Amino acid sequence: MTTDTFIPTSTRERLAHGRAVVDAAVGHGFFPPRHTVEVADVIELDAGVTRITIRDPYIASHGRPAQFVDFFTQDPTRLMPRPFGISEIQDDLVSFIFAVVGDGTRELAGLAPGDAVDVMGPLGHAFDTGAPANYVLVAGGLGVPPLIHAAQHIAGDGNSESTAVFGYRRNHFADEYVDRYADRTYSIDESEGNVITLLDRMEDELTGGDLPPVILSCGPLPMMKAVASWAAERGIPCQLSLEQRMGCGYGTCVLCTTDTVDGRLKVCADGPVFTREQLGWE
Amino acid sequence: MNDNATNTVPGTDLYDHEWKHPTLVAGVPWKNPVGTASGTFQYAAVRWFYDVSRLGAVTTKGVSPVPWEGNPGVRTAEGPASNINAVGLQNPGVDHYLVDDLPKLKEIGANVVANVAGHSDDDYAEVVAKLADSPADMLEINVSCPNVSAGGMSVGTDPVALSRLITRLRGMTDKPMIVKLTPNVTDITVPARAAAEAGADALSLINTIVGMRIDTRTGRPVIDHVTGGVSGPAVLPIGLARVWQVRTALPDIPIIGIGGIDSGEKALEYLYAGANAVEVGAAALFDPIAPLRVARELDDLLDERPELAARLAAGETWR
Repeated sequence: MTTDTFIPTSTRERLAHGRAVVDAAVGHGFFPPRHTVEVADVIELDAGVTRITIRDPYIASHGRPAQFVDFFTQDPTRLMPRPFGISEIQDDLVSFIFAVVGDGTRELAGLAPGDAVDVMGPLGHAFDTGAPANYVLVAGGLGVPPLIHAAQHIAGDGNSESTAVFGYRRNHFADEYVDRYADRTYSIDESEGNVITLLDRMEDELTGGDLPPVILSCGPLPMMKAVASWAAERGIPCQLSLEQRMGCGYGTCVLCTTDTVDGRLKVCADGPVFTREQLGWE
Repeated sequence: MNDNATNTVPGTDLYDHEWKHPTLVAGVPWKNPVGTASGTFQYAAVRWFYDVSRLGAVTTKGVSPVPWEGNPGVRTAEGPASNINAVGLQNPGVDHYLVDDLPKLKEIGANVVANVAGHSDDDYAEVVAKLADSPADMLEINVSCPNVSAGGMSVGTDPVALSRLITRLRGMTDKPMIVKLTPNVTDITVPARAAAEAGADALSLINTIVGMRIDTRTGRPVIDHVTGGVSGPAVLPIGLARVWQVRTALPDIPIIGIGGIDSGEKALEYLYAGANAVEVGAAALFDPIAPLRVARELDDLLDERPELAARLAAGETWR
């Protein structure tokens, strides 16, 4: 008799409810809130590195490179969203690559095809790939997803080229995905050097090509600062997708800020992409 | 599913449902008893998800006399069924608020509670002076933020300082003034009484509880500010007990209950504890439309409790 919180129980019920929630929001002209979708595929790419694919027509048709999606665990004691960068989109399917860093991500890595999971997105601002250029996609470690997606986006665009420059600790786990789209793929691991080693080797090729180079980068902060500095020395434009410990992911809680020349901005909603100039990185 | 089932799937008729059960807080009508909690609401972020004027009230993020940058570095950690935040009241200042968020919210017809922050009595007074002639419907004085070095909680835990501040602000405006209380005290009825006697029209409680997490890989606090404020479902029993205690001590003052509300059922608990209305905070970090969903669920729960609904509509409370 009471209308307590509606808690759908079966996976089928949860998925139907998720579709109804998205339809209701979009039907009223609003962005979909948190909703349940189906897990289509889960692969372990490397020790502690998972690629998950969900079926979500809304995110698939709206997601752009460097945008991310909030994932929620089913555990009522772990409520904060886990923000994952989109790595690829095929029809209704959206893929992500993430590292298991704690119990929340461990639960998400344990999902199986056919399971239901709560998500919200796409969130944040995308890389600007509007101008014809040779986009140099520089990623380190778990910074690879937005750059794989950028390669996919650029390949579909036709006016630009992309050159992937990926650095790994050990296994080159994302090369096979970026290879599907990038015009050239170079990768390196810690036994040989890092992405700067690769950029130094490629300098003539990058600056002497027909299309002007533009660097898009995502990875650990020290790597991105080194990449920004390398770009600045050569006058190459550079867009950086930052990571920060987030709260809501959509801009309401102001927990994930970064210092910029325009003051302290939200990584989730004002970013995650910032230009080198905005960040004031020399 | 429920027995009054309509043709819509639960959770999908949020956008055009007609509210049945209003409340009255210090003479201000709310179309339903649910608002947003300050600090978890940014109009620029939430507006894409629903029409916020559908809520009973929108309590905006604390504004200070000048822009505040907030705390640097990592500002958040997850706790069991909770979030810990140490934003430090980052905001673009009251002048920006008066030309941006406030007019935008009034234009769509929202019932706006403007939250006021300061590092000193003069800071609070400067903001209240500017809001006194604004279209804000109510003011909420934040004397309970645990993440600033001066003002905030240091005022709210000292009944003498609190009384002095509220007396001063009371003389500056006739706008209904809510004082938001901290639970980080031994006996919350002491600051509650001090605020009421100094002229507060209503009380809102609770603000966050001081807490922290430690990264066991480094042995260091997760949050750079070391401690932050705990909110989320974990604090529900604490907030309820504080509302119960204040209602017992002060039978007449309007109370807005806050703390751990993420469903209509939990909002109802606060109303039975003696609140006139509630605010939804951390739940909005886990789903932007949580406040609207709580209001929707509560509206049906009040159908089955006509006596409670009638009391709320008349500005009275259950106890």
